[in-house]
Amino acid sequence: MADAHAHLSAAVNTVLGTVPADSLGVVAIHEALLSVLPGAQYAYDITLDQAKIFDTLASKLRAFKAAGGGTVVDNTGMFHGRDLPLLESLARATGVNIIASTGMGPEENLGGYFLTPQTNPPTPWPADKFADLLAQEITDGMVIPRLERRAPAGLVITEADAHGITPTEVSLFQGSARAALRTGVALSVRWGTDAHAELAHVLGEGLESNRVIVANLDRADAVAEGVPATVAAKGAYVALDHVGQNDGSYIDDAARVTLVTELIAAGHADRILLSSNAIGVAAGLTPVTLPYEFVLTEFVPALRAAGVSDADVQQILVDNPRDVLTVRGGKA
Amino acid sequence: MGKVNTVLGPVATETLGLIAFHEHIGYGMPGSELDSKWWKTPEQKYEETVPKLRAFHEYGGGTFVDATGICNGRDLDYYKSLSAKTGVHIVASTGFVGGDTALAHFAHASVEYLADQFIHEITVGIGNSGAKAGIIKVGVSRGGRMTDLDKRIYRAAARAAKLTGVAVMTHLAIDAEPAIEIFGEEGLPLDRVVFGHVDDGVNHDKSKDTWIASLGGRIGFDTFGYETELPDPPFWARPRKDRLDHFLRFIGEQGYLGQVLASADANCSPLGWPGVKGHTVNYIFEDLIPDLRAAGIDEATITTIFVDNPADFLTLHN
Ligand SMILES: [Zn+2]
Repeated sequence: MADAHAHLSAAVNTVLGTVPADSLGVVAIHEALLSVLPGAQYAYDITLDQAKIFDTLASKLRAFKAAGGGTVVDNTGMFHGRDLPLLESLARATGVNIIASTGMGPEENLGGYFLTPQTNPPTPWPADKFADLLAQEITDGMVIPRLERRAPAGLVITEADAHGITPTEVSLFQGSARAALRTGVALSVRWGTDAHAELAHVLGEGLESNRVIVANLDRADAVAEGVPATVAAKGAYVALDHVGQNDGSYIDDAARVTLVTELIAAGHADRILLSSNAIGVAAGLTPVTLPYEFVLTEFVPALRAAGVSDADVQQILVDNPRDVLTVRGGKA
Repeated sequence: MGKVNTVLGPVATETLGLIAFHEHIGYGMPGSELDSKWWKTPEQKYEETVPKLRAFHEYGGGTFVDATGICNGRDLDYYKSLSAKTGVHIVASTGFVGGDTALAHFAHASVEYLADQFIHEITVGIGNSGAKAGIIKVGVSRGGRMTDLDKRIYRAAARAAKLTGVAVMTHLAIDAEPAIEIFGEEGLPLDRVVFGHVDDGVNHDKSKDTWIASLGGRIGFDTFGYETELPDPPFWARPRKDRLDHFLRFIGEQGYLGQVLASADANCSPLGWPGVKGHTVNYIFEDLIPDLRAAGIDEATITTIFVDNPADFLTLHN
């Protein structure tokens, strides 16, 4: 990039505090470290063995680092098992940058506090309340519930219902966009049934498209309709984030390689993100046991074999995540 | 007579004394823990809670039943310390205040899984606290109609109650027909269930208290003190005299003294809402019992309401 000076001052929020954007290295942008389905922490048949969880995640992060990885972004948001002392300790112990996210979704994973508050009638939260809650996770730090705040979140995440975005999720998307706009942190949205319409909810808040990642765009139905290219053309980042998962509702890796080469050929190399949505430790849901380095060790060789240049690989694995994760001047 | 699970272990029914059967150490909707506007330090929580429990004890209160279900901020180690330091028996709940307070893991669960969760919390313990639940909480979600999830929770509660012998308390007695049908199908006698909140300002005219009682159900007048006379009453408040008259009618001319329970549903230190200033469990001693005496209710009847009925209800039946 030409603007070297801007890079020197550019910064990213990690769980250990702000780091220069150029220090992230290869980024696994859509992954989960500890992922706990809301409520599973209270389940009689689930034990969260802290020591074991640490060992499992540390060895996975070390393997990622050994394969050339620099940064893992934990996409679980603020209410899906995020354990900040764990993430901080892992970052210190392994030397991998860990970026934690704020945000929630879909609606079915929200607590009743947001859906049926103790008011009459029990009206779900409006966008501005979500915006305040999420922005505070960046301006004042992420919460350890009922205890304290830690480092600022590095990404806002949200998700629409797989059967179609609900009215409360529209508020949540709008509030997430406002929090991103206010704080300069990027927003990642997992789409439900209509990626463009759902993207429009966040762009409608004035958030620039280059501050938005549309996740799950390697879903077979999105690819069939050419959505990755049209989202990229709009200027948003296209996350093909199920690399290594070949289970039917998503395209397989061979088709992913083709999709990447097509997007590059169409001039969208600067909008592609690759990740695996691996889950290091899962509670209350099925783990996705892919290694965090799967993109590096398995998928990149396939890209190269398909003629993708080193410069494009560097762009996709290092530059694009760096650019989107860099905190921009917020509009506070 | 039998025994009851308290947070410090099983106790003989005879030691329960006067029972506040539907109260909260601290209640917060799931997710409220993420909103730092409600956070309190442990010092503040103890400061708000201990004097209320101590006063309850000094007034002659024996047992405080915490009606806070799973996902609502239940904190068993905290309850254990409160009980040990104030001398008040605390009975904890398993179950859910309503389907709308059950988080995704439980909202997706089968009746069998929910029953296993409740049974585990009653027979083995809650989390790793070692404390066993002494009652099962169920309830009707906001909206006034039992949802499919509410019904699964009621059915699971009925099975767990039958198997373990603990009782069931409901949040709201509206839309009681499906509840009664479920308890019937599962073979849980209705005297093992208290249908609560028949007396609040929003639901009293929609709650068929005498019909439920005629079928053998117990009836909870358990929002005493949430009065429109308060400086800042909540939306479920009701004029004091209306509620008292309703109660007196129910135990008097309608003849259901043997099936009535009474409580204040107060929070010692609310978790995810401001709470209602000036309203505590001690309303029972400071206002309700004096009101009953002033209405001519004798001491034996007061003992029936606050000692004998809840003791019989809470005692493990198996
Ligand atoms: Zn209550």
